[in-house]
Amino acid sequence: MGQLPAYVIGQPALSTWVETMLDRAEVVAPRAAHGEDVTYDVVHTPEQVAWGYTTSLAPLKRFLFPQVDPLLRWSRQGDEGLQLEPSYDERERVFLAVRPCDVAGVLFLDRVFTRDREDIYYLSRRRRSTLIALTCTEPGENCFCVCADAGPFLDAGYDLQLTRLSDEYLVEVGSDKGAALIGEADGLFAPATEGAMRTRRDLEKEAETRFGEHQAYFAAALRKVTFDQVPDELWDGMAERCLECGGCAFVCPTCTCFLVADSERGGEGERARLWDSCLYRAYALEASGHNPRAEGKHRVKARFFHKLSYQFAKPLEAHGCVGCGRCVTTCMGSNDMPAVTARIRRGAM
Amino acid sequence: MENIYLPDLAEITDIRQETYDTKTFRLRFVEPARWDAFRHRPGQFVEISVFGVGEAPFCLASPRNGADTFEITVRSTGMVTEALHALRAGHRVGVRGPLGNGFPFDEVKGRSILFVGGGIGLPPLRPLIWEMLGARAEFAGITVLYGARTPADLVYKEDLEEWSGQGDVECMVTVDVADESWTGNVGVVGTLFPKAAIDPSSTVAFVCGPPIMIRFVVTDLLGLGFAEESIYTTLERHMRCGVGKCNHCLIGDKYVCTDGPVFSYQQMKSMMDPG
Repeated sequence: MGQLPAYVIGQPALSTWVETMLDRAEVVAPRAAHGEDVTYDVVHTPEQVAWGYTTSLAPLKRFLFPQVDPLLRWSRQGDEGLQLEPSYDERERVFLAVRPCDVAGVLFLDRVFTRDREDIYYLSRRRRSTLIALTCTEPGENCFCVCADAGPFLDAGYDLQLTRLSDEYLVEVGSDKGAALIGEADGLFAPATEGAMRTRRDLEKEAETRFGEHQAYFAAALRKVTFDQVPDELWDGMAERCLECGGCAFVCPTCTCFLVADSERGGEGERARLWDSCLYRAYALEASGHNPRAEGKHRVKARFFHKLSYQFAKPLEAHGCVGCGRCVTTCMGSNDMPAVTARIRRGAM
Repeated sequence: MENIYLPDLAEITDIRQETYDTKTFRLRFVEPARWDAFRHRPGQFVEISVFGVGEAPFCLASPRNGADTFEITVRSTGMVTEALHALRAGHRVGVRGPLGNGFPFDEVKGRSILFVGGGIGLPPLRPLIWEMLGARAEFAGITVLYGARTPADLVYKEDLEEWSGQGDVECMVTVDVADESWTGNVGVVGTLFPKAAIDPSSTVAFVCGPPIMIRFVVTDLLGLGFAEESIYTTLERHMRCGVGKCNHCLIGDKYVCTDGPVFSYQQMKSMMDPG
């Protein structure tokens, strides 16, 4: 992507630019939530964008694959009058100031939802969305994207990538869609100088040295999980620590398990898919009462086999972790990715 | 883009009571054109919707026989199946499918065929039995062994009678626990193996039933000298989506819904089953 153009935009122009995006699309950006938290949410004014944030509480997933995702609706008029109406979300969206790990998460979802068969619900949202990344010059305390090849800066995959320089933002173009967005507001942008590009490279190098205590030993874990070389006692030990809260799956940018449920009232019905977690005891339970994953260790093993084995990493072009650190924040049993890969590497809890 | 989650409407045209808790439903698409695209083969399954209650997977229980209908056999055991049992002819359900890979057919021509069914495991085998009988000259011997807990649990009594009366197929039935009316075999389905004329070296076995029955039958068959690649079964999982997206049916990296549900024992052995 080196040959694609880059620009700079000053602070006042940035607000004007956000205004132009607000005029034509729903803009989702980091926004102050409860207390100190920041999370991706719909913004209505440029001032609501929390540019200085570190990480978003939740990933972008819910805007492309909502926790409750309506698949179809129906209404009944008598016995024969059943009409099925699929419900598609066709909103134009701009995802603004998204951290590289979360962009990588979306790119992972792209592969999940186009693998073998295309998922029209995901893709109708995704194809109407623009991804504007914001690089990380100050990684958060639980971050380890640098281990997962998902940050702190991206080489590709974004439509635009912003980097905060001292008093302006560098804007790298990553796609035709990104170039068009610049074109629509070209008065606001100036071509980036070689000096700005050099600063960007320096910032990236510097950011890579600033990661905290968390590292994920993916190489060792990938090999051992792929070849089923993780001792059963280890899965058992992790199962004992799992409270089956599902938090890890819900905050994970790459987790996509869902179940399907119907509801109907007064002849008006809806079918939706709902986020699920493979760590829940009843996840694989069958109507007969048979549960192929009856034991906790089966469920923990299934989860990390899905995330870490080459059998999945190959078709999905990456292991199922972008190093966002949210499982570190969320898991009360310390079954987070850095801890799990460390245990797998040393073969002990 | 095709919507892989959107069912087509079908009407129940007939319901047969198989046992005290099991019914067979015959279904016909409301849009006749949908039938032309419905090119099912034995071993495949469909996702059936009872709108307002939910969707669940069922194996296709009828062969391709020129009719514009298909059948599913349903034991009342959960929410969707109970709701299905409450429906009557003329009611409408949703159908997605056919889904999954299906049994090998051309690949096993020339071989002897052994069917081993347990309880509600006969329905997936039924269309294959009928289609193989329809191409009888293509196969050496055909043997059907079927077991159920009690005589009251036997499904497809008419089919069993017909197969038993046919000279070119060996059909034996057994029950785990007999009642006063039962004069046939008693014992698990494996007890029929010594009574049947089976040549393990030239025979392909199709096994379907509850997990414990499959485990015992496969062990018996391997003991008799069957090759691992000559034993096929259909796996059951709670397939929520049926199209390889929801992940509920994963065994290792294999999706039962799209890589299966039919697997050879050789394939099953190589699956990294965490459960």
